[in-house]
Amino acid sequence: MINRPIHSIGKKLTVFVAGVFALGLIINATSASADGFGPIKAPKVDAKKAALGKRLFFDPRLSGDAAISCSTCHIPSKGFADGLELSKAYPGSDGFRNTPTLINTAQRAAWFHDGRLGTNLNDVTRESITETYNMNMDMRLMQERVKQDPIYVKMFKDAGYGEPSNGSIRKAIPEYLKTLTSRGSAFDAGKMSDAAKRGFELFKGKAGCAACHSGNRFTDDQPYNTGVPNNPDIWRKPLRHMTYVAFGLFMGIENIMNIRRDVGAHVRTHKADGSDIGKFMTPTLRELKQTAPYMHNGMIRTLKGVVEFYNNGGGSDANKDPRIKPLGLSKEERANLVTFLNALSGKPLTGKQHVWPGKIDVNYKPIKDWLKQRN
Amino acid sequence: MKTMKKISLALIVGLALIGFAGNAMADKNAPLAALGKPPIPADNPQTAAKVALGKLLFFDPRIGGDASVSCADCHSPTQGWGFADPISRGYPGAIHWRNSQTVVNSAYLGKLFWTGSAKSLENQAPSAALGALSGNGERDVIEARLAFVPEYVKAFREVFGDRWPRVNNVWRAMAAFERTLIHNNTPFDKYMRGDKKALSEQQVRGLKLFQGKANCIECHNGPQLTDQKYYNLGVPRAEEWLTRGLAQITFRYQQYGKGSTEKMYRTIKDDAGLYYRTKEKVDKGKFRTPPLRYTAYTAPYMHNGTFFDFEELVDFYNDGGGKNEFATKTKLLKPLNLSDEEKEDLVAFLESLSGPEIKMATPKIPPYAPLD
Repeated sequence: MINRPIHSIGKKLTVFVAGVFALGLIINATSASADGFGPIKAPKVDAKKAALGKRLFFDPRLSGDAAISCSTCHIPSKGFADGLELSKAYPGSDGFRNTPTLINTAQRAAWFHDGRLGTNLNDVTRESITETYNMNMDMRLMQERVKQDPIYVKMFKDAGYGEPSNGSIRKAIPEYLKTLTSRGSAFDAGKMSDAAKRGFELFKGKAGCAACHSGNRFTDDQPYNTGVPNNPDIWRKPLRHMTYVAFGLFMGIENIMNIRRDVGAHVRTHKADGSDIGKFMTPTLRELKQTAPYMHNGMIRTLKGVVEFYNNGGGSDANKDPRIKPLGLSKEERANLVTFLNALSGKPLTGKQHVWPGKIDVNYKPIKDWLKQRN
Repeated sequence: MKTMKKISLALIVGLALIGFAGNAMADKNAPLAALGKPPIPADNPQTAAKVALGKLLFFDPRIGGDASVSCADCHSPTQGWGFADPISRGYPGAIHWRNSQTVVNSAYLGKLFWTGSAKSLENQAPSAALGALSGNGERDVIEARLAFVPEYVKAFREVFGDRWPRVNNVWRAMAAFERTLIHNNTPFDKYMRGDKKALSEQQVRGLKLFQGKANCIECHNGPQLTDQKYYNLGVPRAEEWLTRGLAQITFRYQQYGKGSTEKMYRTIKDDAGLYYRTKEKVDKGKFRTPPLRYTAYTAPYMHNGTFFDFEELVDFYNDGGGKNEFATKTKLLKPLNLSDEEKEDLVAFLESLSGPEIKMATPKIPPYAPLD
């Protein structure tokens, strides 16, 4: 069973993999073979629920001070990332990690660069909306805001959710996210150039990328330490550093005031010997054309730079994965790899299907005859 | 009824008013008196350094969630240390649902907020700073931000011995600062201390009405001019809920967040006050008697800011209070049959409860700096 391509095993096993780390590693080993790469199957989507989720995604009223929406950091024209090294954050804070793409996010087994949420997009939505330095929203207040907008009241009803509630908001947004599936890459179309094809062979073979970048999304959804250099901007800029401190206080990171590096997946596994410090989730390699700069902290600006990084055996870190070694790739081989990586990018998801058309009126009209209406 | 009165009187006497036992024996309301010094809790003594720190924190917008709102935004020195709209402005993107009360003399109160949900200033500050409609701040974020202000790190170390600023000490410092906002030398206070010239003849007539025919003293008694008990006066609902979408959102949020029944959430059209704390039907629409000093600067009045001046207030009581949807209105309110002259006298007396305005410039807020 584990030799079958991951996409055909389905979501259940993916979740199972997240829970059983050891089994996950076995799958990594097997998917390094030519098997397991192919187009991503689009999830079944309820069109009305997804349309509702789309409007919510672009609506700034879902943040505490109504200043930012999900789309402030997940920008459609930038591959649902933001093009920045380190993300923005809620006003008064600033980000300490690179915004990950949301394209194909519905297929993930664990979310955020440290993989700290291994459940589902409902939880990811809740976490992103309520976290103080993200959108800082009290979801009870959010529910009542949404209920004040007649357009939402109708959309929730039409979608079969009944009255707007914070529970159905957390269902509708994931339904929309399920529509964000990669389409139209040369890789999926079987139209790769010869150089890209040579790159793919290197990817699976000599370069060893497929050891972690496996499956249709080119990720095993596991955390590793590859020695990506620290981003000094986090520790130099108080707004970023203090946001990391707040995160660390909440996550229970030891010695948080003296730490000057992002501990990564340590917040999930809390290993006493610290051997999990500096591990970050293998990112997807789809839509890279739209999502520079790269790595969890945006430290590498170009795909050429990423390939150089791995060719040099990654960065330097005491906890670096021993499989990261200098690759000895020629200049041409490196170029072929970059060509292959570019072939994994498809069409931008910037049409009406994926972007709420028109402006959202963020003002609230009073309910007429309020005294006679049920609340 | 009589027994209840005796018990509550005994409580008041027991709490604060040592020396007035003789009057209590006569089964009267706690007598009016000049205001003394505020009580200082033994576990949060006043020091100059703590007060100075608390002042900075009170004015620092970085306590609020998006670093744009400080305590002083809804408790503004230029607006009577409250907020001059009927309903407080609240957090950006929201509006509050009650009138912002003055911080002046809050040091004397054992029941803070309109329904007494906090028992001390140390306890009031976090509710205001962290609530979604007010500061929308969060403890970890507040501690993290303060750690990047060298001036705060130094001050918290000196005042509290904190290695890094601790959020509970933020509330302590704020409370210490608030305990310096004291208004106890009004013309009324001077009069009660024996300066018979401190009140005009008209104000003295008003004082007599206050204690007599108008019977304000039934609830506004003791040195603080409040019994700190809860009543429904029949104050009408806030206009905002009928006319503003944002206020309607807040209204429902409060019904939801404060835990009413589904039926109540669907049908209620007013603020049920003390009910949200006790969940007792008899407490619907009840609010704590506010103190009356400094009121020359704190209009509009009542928990929802319904009345804009003393004249409107006096008319309201002269009519025997108002009517709202709760069947809990106090029987203490009856039409007073005050003449126009008497009403003017009463207003003149209310004016004697305020002295000079407590002014304060916004202090310079210390900047962030990177950690070493």
